Amino acid sequence: MRKWFIVILLLSLVTVWGCQPPDKNTEADPQGDTQGDQSELFVGVAGPFTGTAAAFGEMIQRGAELKAKEINEAGGINGRKLILSFGDDAGTDKEAKLIATRFATDKRILAVVGHFNSSCSLAGKDIYKENGIVALSPGSTNVSVCEGSDWTFRNLYRDDFQGTFIARYIKTKLTEYPSVAVLFDNDDYGRGLRDAFTAEAKKIELNMVASEAYDRENTDFTAQLTSIKGKNPDIIFISGLYGEAALIVRQARRLGIKALFFGADGVDSPDFLKNAGASADGTYLTTPFTFGAGGEGASKVAAAFEAEFGVAPDTWAALTYDAMGMIAEAIEKTYNKDAELAINRKAIRDHLASLDTPEEGYKGITGLTYFDINGDTVDKPAYVKVVKDGMFTTAPIQMTD
Amino acid sequence: MDQFYQQLINGIVLGGIYALIAVGYTMVYGIIQLINFAHGEIFMLGAYFAFTLVNFTPIPFWVAIFVSMLFCAGVGMLMDYVAYRPLRNAPRLSALITAIGVSIGLQNLARILWGAKPQTFTDDTLPTIFQQISPMKEPKVFFSIFGVTFTDAAIQFSENVSLAYLDLTIIVLAIILMVSLNRLVSLTKIGKAMRACAQNRIAANLMGVRTNQVIAITFAIGSALGAVAGVMVGVRDNIGPTMGLHKGVAAFAAAVLGGIGNITGAMVGGLLMGLAEVFGAGYIDPMIATICHTIGLGEFYDSEKISHSYGSGYRIAISYIVMIIVILIRPTGLFGKASAHRA
Amino acid sequence: MQILDKVKNFIFKAKNFVFKAKNFVSKLQENITPKTLVLCLLLCIFPLLTYGTDAIASLFSNFNIFLPIPSGDYLIYISIQVCVYILLAVGLNIVCGYTGLLDLGYVGFYLIGGYTAGLLMRHAGVSYWFVVPIAILNGALWGLIRGAPTLKLTGDYFAIVTFGFAEILFRIVKNEIWLIRDINGFVKEIPRATIFGLELNKNWQHYYHILILTAVVIFVSYRLEHSRIGRAWIAIREDEQAAASMGINISKYKSLAFAISAAMGALGGAFLAQFWGNLSAKAFEFWESILILCMVILGGKGSIKGSILGAIIIGSLSEVLRIVLQQFPPDFAGSRYLIFGIVLVLLMRFRPAGLIFKKT
Repeated sequence: MRKWFIVILLLSLVTVWGCQPPDKNTEADPQGDTQGDQSELFVGVAGPFTGTAAAFGEMIQRGAELKAKEINEAGGINGRKLILSFGDDAGTDKEAKLIATRFATDKRILAVVGHFNSSCSLAGKDIYKENGIVALSPGSTNVSVCEGSDWTFRNLYRDDFQGTFIARYIKTKLTEYPSVAVLFDNDDYGRGLRDAFTAEAKKIELNMVASEAYDRENTDFTAQLTSIKGKNPDIIFISGLYGEAALIVRQARRLGIKALFFGADGVDSPDFLKNAGASADGTYLTTPFTFGAGGEGASKVAAAFEAEFGVAPDTWAALTYDAMGMIAEAIEKTYNKDAELAINRKAIRDHLASLDTPEEGYKGITGLTYFDINGDTVDKPAYVKVVKDGMFTTAPIQMTD
Repeated sequence: MDQFYQQLINGIVLGGIYALIAVGYTMVYGIIQLINFAHGEIFMLGAYFAFTLVNFTPIPFWVAIFVSMLFCAGVGMLMDYVAYRPLRNAPRLSALITAIGVSIGLQNLARILWGAKPQTFTDDTLPTIFQQISPMKEPKVFFSIFGVTFTDAAIQFSENVSLAYLDLTIIVLAIILMVSLNRLVSLTKIGKAMRACAQNRIAANLMGVRTNQVIAITFAIGSALGAVAGVMVGVRDNIGPTMGLHKGVAAFAAAVLGGIGNITGAMVGGLLMGLAEVFGAGYIDPMIATICHTIGLGEFYDSEKISHSYGSGYRIAISYIVMIIVILIRPTGLFGKASAHRA
Repeated sequence: MQILDKVKNFIFKAKNFVFKAKNFVSKLQENITPKTLVLCLLLCIFPLLTYGTDAIASLFSNFNIFLPIPSGDYLIYISIQVCVYILLAVGLNIVCGYTGLLDLGYVGFYLIGGYTAGLLMRHAGVSYWFVVPIAILNGALWGLIRGAPTLKLTGDYFAIVTFGFAEILFRIVKNEIWLIRDINGFVKEIPRATIFGLELNKNWQHYYHILILTAVVIFVSYRLEHSRIGRAWIAIREDEQAAASMGINISKYKSLAFAISAAMGALGGAFLAQFWGNLSAKAFEFWESILILCMVILGGKGSIKGSILGAIIIGSLSEVLRIVLQQFPPDFAGSRYLIFGIVLVLLMRFRPAGLIFKKT
């Protein structure tokens, strides 16, 4: 009786879920299909679709879906349909390794877009390398993600450039604000950015009065903000991501902190404006591109994204969109249907590695992307934006050197 | 000194939130000796429910809190009925696994229903005093009395010590709810029944107490308090599917610190954890700096050979260290009675 | 004369030993049924099977037919993961099952083993085979360090202290950059274990490696359970005061349990360090402890078989769900952990005392 109860419960669950219509056939599992068809090309997308980093995974999934949909609507890659296979790494090393093994040993997957967390990219690095498959990360910032492996690439730049850029911008352009405090995310993105910032600040003798850390699982930053307030800085540099940045700005205003806030590309998201509301006014931030001002293509994609998913895209959605585009371009140029899988995979890698000069670079919505010898993206130019009346506007003073 | 008072306020606010959640843990534990790991998820559901109400219905914020409390009370009772009641006579730790299962399930259900992205209450859904404060506008002064200035942004005790109305509301709500809970447990009939169940469930049942009903009510009250904390954290910070994870565990630690099963203990434990966390984050680094400078390691400290953000990097760990020290000194928590419970 | 005595004594001891060994072998023979033999054989040739299916699948893929079976490497990877969990669950079972204390911070020892091995191998260039005993000893040492102040604690007070301990270790690894030499607890490019200059870097090699380690841990745990020590632990679990009054040294036996359990956790961590090749603090979050605890309790507290079964079920459930759910529409794939939670609740609902339990 009890056993039957379980069986019936599970069956009913399965039917309820199974009855939902499939999602516009942009995705299917290669291992699930018994009928293989050479008119389909498979690309794996790995990211934290569940777990604590799921908010980023969601955007990565949507960015990839949008690009695949556009490609398929335009007739696919050389007439072949692009099919995405999603692999959830839950933001943990353990599952990232499993997903990497799964993708790398799959007989049909040509390349992988992923992972998001640096720890996950590092976890998968060896497996991708041993099996010879490209992994193009749209979100891992740690310095060594691409070092020592020919098979890993990323299309977002390292943190060093931005940290340096912001320190110089504050020193030379915001001269009426002489002292700075740093509040950094105690994770690889925040720390890397902060280290670059402090190194440059020391070099150009920028007056740094405080440096405080925070953890992403926390949502209360008043203690750190109060310590910073005691030092009375003119600018607070948030070296972290937009979710926490919005909370920091709000809590700071409630504490009566009047200082100017400065953020890097991690803060550049419509959600920052939405979540921080009026508190965000006057915040400066750098960005590699702007959906508003970064050319026509970017704003068109942003509109299409919003029409498709009902929310505005963020940096990672855009980067994944471009990463997908790069992989698709590589497949288009190199795919040989008679060749073996390993040869096709190698050809994709060689194509990506050949994008090593600005002329060869891939022009996407996030700007021009080309790789150095490691597979790291060479610096994209940075723009400075400022929040005015709940909108991002291009800052009056830019720095172009 | 201003900084100290400000940190004190920060700590009390955080402590109030922890205390509200911790009470839910401790009440359930007191009666059925279950660590209800899913309580953090109730806290999260409370926030999401109020968020959905104010965004998609014309219900005003204050009513939404109340409805959310009722809803969470219902969810708590349902959880007890579906998941825990069948395990009443099973080994104690079996129910713990059920609680973990419920916790994983609810967290992922919320992610599927509301999306993974953290969300916030927007200004148009909130009462005026909770709205965001623009740095561009000078705050309007309402009046000032005994050196305390009331502006439209916050209560200013001095130039650098302020208490936002939102934080004030959290403290006041926490105090009101705690006091009424205390009265409820010590004065009313149902409170008596709860205490009887906590002492000996079987004997209470024999004496005519409907134990299952009492347990359900306990779940309901604990969940309702969790919901209030959830909504207030949602307004102050943000709402996400994993918001219950970190706060839930910290609140559980607070409940144990106070002596698990004891309601006053949970309140004091919560406050202590909040204060430890905030003062740890605020004062560890200056302390290390002073020590380094007095023992002649000043240059070493200034050379940044060691991290200058110990306090904030170890923030949550500091409150656990305080908790461990208290428990090692008093092996049954601050207010706990010695008991023979084993795992 | 004395020499003669000694010789006699020695002969007696040797005879005794032979007798004991014979006894043990005959006991073993009694226990070896066809079922266990088949199971052992299956475990031993498992990589052969998976690579066999792999070969068949690649044969078919030449004709553009793709069989819906997961690849061999992937299956072996899951099995290695499950084996690590079996090792950890059996280790945790010593504290949780035998002495009956609720340990919420077992991942701390896993972390210590992992980082001891990882850092020594990466930065000091010590060979894996030297690192393993060091990691085990270090784990046992930390087990004693954590155990000493908590001997008097019971129930949930003990549980929360263990949890706090693991959380503090996690923060130390994350924050102490001078110790780890990288941020976020990253240890990269840890060398693999080698035998006679041969690097163990294939998945099937790791599989046999962990299979042997797990077998050793299970054997040790089994022998302990049926020894004087094991009986003392169970006596402590059933009634601490009664055990003390029967002359059992509570502190000694509890400390022993902590040390052995911690050493096993550290062994798992040491294997993990060389198997993964890189570590990060994220792999040792609080949630991992809870997962291991679930395995022990789900399988049936205090039973080795139960811990093994629990580890197999929970350790592979998320991957099994992944494989199964991918046969359904994609919306379903996101609900993997929702179903995970429901399965846990249902399993406990219908087997409240664990899957395998001993009547006491």
